[in-house]
Order: sequence, then C-alpha cells, then structure tokens
Amino acid sequence: MNRYNKILAISFVLLIILSVISLSLGVKSLTLETVFNTVINGGDEDFIINQYRLPRIIISILVGIGLAVSGVLTQGIIRNPLASPDLMGISGGAGLFACSSLLIWPEVHSALLPLIAILGGFSAAFLIWLLNHFNHPSPARLALVGIAVSAFLTSCINFILVLHPVEMNSAMIWLTGSLWGRNWDYIWPLLPWLIILVPFSFYLAWSLDLSALGEETATSLGVNTERLQVLALSSAVALASVSVAVCGTIGFVGLLAPHLARLLVGPRHKLILPIAALTGALLVLSADTLSRNLAPPLEMPAGVLTAVLGAPYFIFLLYRYKGW
Amino acid sequence: MTLSFLFPPKKLMSVFILITVLLMGFVCSLYGQSEFSLRVNDVWNLFVSYDKSNINQQIILSLRLPRSLTAAVIGFNLGIAGLLMQGLTRNPLASPTLFAISSGAACLTALNSLTVASIGGLSNEAVAFVGALTGGGLVFLLGGGLSSNQNALRLILAGIAINGLLTSLTRAVLIIADDMAYSLLHWLSGSLSGIDWSSWSQLWPLSLLGLFIATSTCRGLNLNALGEQTAASLGVNVTWLRIRICLAVLILTSISVTVAGPIAFVGLIAPHLARSWCGSNHFMLLPAAGLSGAALVCWADLVSRNIIPPAETPVGIITALIGTPFFIYLILKGKR
Repeated sequence: MNRYNKILAISFVLLIILSVISLSLGVKSLTLETVFNTVINGGDEDFIINQYRLPRIIISILVGIGLAVSGVLTQGIIRNPLASPDLMGISGGAGLFACSSLLIWPEVHSALLPLIAILGGFSAAFLIWLLNHFNHPSPARLALVGIAVSAFLTSCINFILVLHPVEMNSAMIWLTGSLWGRNWDYIWPLLPWLIILVPFSFYLAWSLDLSALGEETATSLGVNTERLQVLALSSAVALASVSVAVCGTIGFVGLLAPHLARLLVGPRHKLILPIAALTGALLVLSADTLSRNLAPPLEMPAGVLTAVLGAPYFIFLLYRYKGW
Repeated sequence: MTLSFLFPPKKLMSVFILITVLLMGFVCSLYGQSEFSLRVNDVWNLFVSYDKSNINQQIILSLRLPRSLTAAVIGFNLGIAGLLMQGLTRNPLASPTLFAISSGAACLTALNSLTVASIGGLSNEAVAFVGALTGGGLVFLLGGGLSSNQNALRLILAGIAINGLLTSLTRAVLIIADDMAYSLLHWLSGSLSGIDWSSWSQLWPLSLLGLFIATSTCRGLNLNALGEQTAASLGVNVTWLRIRICLAVLILTSISVTVAGPIAFVGLIAPHLARSWCGSNHFMLLPAAGLSGAALVCWADLVSRNIIPPAETPVGIITALIGTPFFIYLILKGKR
C-alpha cells in the first residue's frame, strides 16, 4: 500500500468515524449502539437520527465535496493560490440569487433553486471576468477584486434580508452559511449535479496537469486550453453554486481543501481531487458537528467555524505568497 | 498672506460646496421621511421661534436633531480616521473598515455588552478602544506592516481576512447570547436607529479629543507624504507622529463604533473625495475629509430611512453598497 492510498484510506476512515460521532452527538446524545440500531432498523430515535442528523451529515459531506472540487478547478485554471470560489465572489453571487429568489418567491420549486444559484454564480464570474479582461490586474490584485465583489454581494444579501426580515437562523444561512434545518428534501436537488460534475472534473484532471506547465506547452501537448478553461471554470462555478443553494456561503472550504490536498499528495490533479473532496467533506462535517454541539440547543452557523479556521490560514498563505 | 496660501479660491469653493451639501443632507434628514408630516418650516421654527407645545418641533428636537448630529459627527470622525491612516501608510486603500479596526472594536463591544466575557468592568468606550487596538494591531503584525519591505496589497488582504474573522466571531457571540441578538445584528452592520441625546453626549467629548490630536498631526503628515526619511530629515519625529496618528485613529473609530456600530467604507471614500477636491495639503484635507464623511453619512442615513418607511435599514448597509464598488474602482485604478 503506497503513501497515497494510505492517505486516502485514512481520510475516508476519518470521515466515517466523524459521521458516526456526529450522528450520536447533539442536544440529545445517544450511544453508538442506539445509533447503529436506529440507522438500520428505525425505532424510537428514528426522527432524530434518520430524519434530522443523517440528512444533515450527508448534505455537509456533499457540500464539502462540491466546494472542494470547485476550489481545485479554480486554482488549477487561475493558478493563483489565493483563488477560490468564495473569495472570487462566485459563492456570493449564487447566494444572492438563491436568497433573493427564496425571499421574493417563497414557493420556488426546490429543483429550480440550484439553477437560479448557478445563474447567480455565472453572473458574478462574468463580472470578475469583465474586470479582469479590461484591466488585467496582477494575481494578488485580482484576489482583492474578487474579495471586494463578494463583499458587495454580501452587503446586497444583507440589504435584502433587511427588506424581508426572516428568522435569525435562516438569515444566518445566507450571511455566513449554515446547515440549519436542512433535511432530505435538500439532498435530491443537489445530488444529480454532483454525480455529473465530480466525475467530469476527474476527466479534466489530466489536462489541468498539463496546463500547469504553461499555456504554450499545454497547447503543444494537445490540450485545447481555451476549451479547458471554459469547461473547468464552468464546472467550478456550477459546483460552488449548487452547494451554496443548499446551505449558503460556507467560506474558506474551497480555499483550504485544495491547499491541504496539495500539501499531502503533491501537484497532480488526479491525486489531488479525491483527497481535496474528502478534506472538504471533513471540514464542513466537523464544522457542522461543532456548530450543533458548542452551545446546544443553540446553533452556530457552520460558516462561522470555517471562517475561524480559514482566515488564519489565508493570512499564512499571504506570508508565503511571493508573486506580489 | 498665510491665509491666502491656505485657502486658494478654488479650494475655498470646494469647501463651500461641501459644506452646502452637508447642510442640505443635515436639514433634509431633520425633517425627511417621518410618520408625522414634518416640514422644513418646522426645522426653521425650531431654531427661530421655539415653541414647546408644538409636537413637530419636539420630535425634531428630541429624535431627529441628536440623530442627525450624531450621523454628521460619526461621518466626520470616520473620514478623518481614514485620511490619517491613508496618510500614515501611504496606502490609498487604508481605512478603519479594511484594517479591521472597526470590526475589532465591534467584536469586543459585543462580547462586553453580552457579558460573555466581561472585561474588567471597563466602560464601553474603553472596551471599544482596546478592541480597535487589537484589530488594527493584528493586521499590522500579520500583514507585515512592520517589516521594511511592506506590501500594500498584503496589508489589505490580511486586513480583510482578520475583518472576516472578527465579524464571524462577533456573529458567533451574538448567536450564543440569543435573546439580544436581533438588535445587535442591526447594530453590527452600523445603525443609527437608537440614537438620542445621551449617545450624543457620549460621542462629542472623545470626538473632540480625537479631532484635536488629528489636527496636531497635519504638518507631520504633509512632510510624511514626501517619504519617511525626508520627513525625519526635515525635523519630524516620525515615531511620535505615528503614535499620535494611531491614537487619533483609534479614538475616533472606537467612539464611532461604540455609538453606531461599524459603518463601513466611509473612512475609505471620504478621504478620496476630499483629495479630488482639495489637493494634498493635509491642513485642507482634514476638514474636507471630515465634511465629506459627514455629508456621506447624513445622506446615507436619509436614504436608509426612506427605503422601507416605517422600518429602518441599517445605515452601514447603504454605505457598504456605495463603498464596495468604489473600493473595486480603487483597486483597479491603483495598478498604474
């Protein structure tokens, strides 16, 4: 068993262990035995385990995978260590569209929501692309533009929430990202997108490796770089947007997970992608578990916890970054 | 002679325009948008022939006047704080919001007021001051502001990261202390809704102190614009100058945050407006930046009350909606 498989196995096992722990912890803590029994046979705790905690865990894993893969694709194409869907304003755009459609039109069909979010994500991406196209800012400056755009979109969300006051926890979903009140209904609109886009990003992995050698080398090795850029960025935007449509703008996962994966397994995208996906899932899942258990029965938004972790890491990246 | 040097006619004009804009915003926010039908006349009469039994005048005197005054002074404070920071760091993007000074003050104030971690029985102002110091200090330390090859962009990016971190922490604190959360959530994005005369009396003494310190740094800032070494060789005690500037910025920002929460981006926009009108002499820039900030907050407050009439939008959201596009513009422009 080589090192890579070991890392893969370890993170997979960690994810399983964490899921089980997350199933058993909460306002009402349950023994592991009860948890296993209930998952398999149902019973007295059926509602808590199977209707409340299990869907949340599955959603946090899916969302973590989506955000992480999106981050890998974004960083692979833009080749900027500070790039990630949430720092580029893509999550912000998706969040704004999803949130405003929900508040203005509350009966919106849940399958439609990811589409609306994707529309928002693409609008934000297009805005960034326009700014980049006409101004050619340096990579660090581009990161700053992305952050400013996402700050603008966040204040738009803030504004809309003031116009349509909602309950505190739902407001927090859109302001910082949270898995509060998410149940099975939210899994089905999310799942098909991931089933299509995650394998597709594996298909792109090889070309991403080549494009890391520089555009000219990649072209001479048979990669259609323009097509690659469009495909990879579109899937990145779509993945981030559908995740945001479900649980709001959980920050820094799309930044952290690819970096951690690259640190663990080196620069090859085929190797990075699974590890990044698992790391992202671990991040979101542990943030959600903590958020439910720090001060029960109150709930913290998971996005607060990922920000507490992610912001220091971002500053660490700034330290190492040399391309000013 | 000196006076004509300080106030050339063109600049005098721009200051005049600024004051007019400010006054218009001020007066409009005194009578505009109310459940009662207030009119300009009521404002006029309040000052000319004060009638104790007139309900409209009473409303203006007890609700609107403190609010508008507070809005103006907070804008003034933030504008000056931004100007001082931009002068000190020679970084056009420096401002209390982006260097996490506001959010540091807000974070500690929230902690303190919810008594999650009561800090030694200090007053709100002192707590906000410590918070502002912590936020700004962190940004400078972590963003490499002390090293010799400091980089403007790195400093800003570090500031934004710490700003995000502190805002998240504040939100977490708010949620744990659930019962007071919603009003604090409003305060957290900068709101002038609960202002009365007591906030005004809390605000003005420290603002005056801050303004006094800020004025004393003008000459130093003018010379500092030529470069630190030049300034030192021209007899400026650079360390002492820095200390005074930091003190002024911290006082001005923290008192504003204590009263109205972190009103975003005023400290970024106001100095740029002032610079485009008044050149680069800090003796002129200081009042101009202050007045622009005051006008900005007054107008933003007026807008915030007009959007959904009976309810109020936090004024910080309005300034953020104006400020972030301006911020993007500055980033893109700064390349050249």
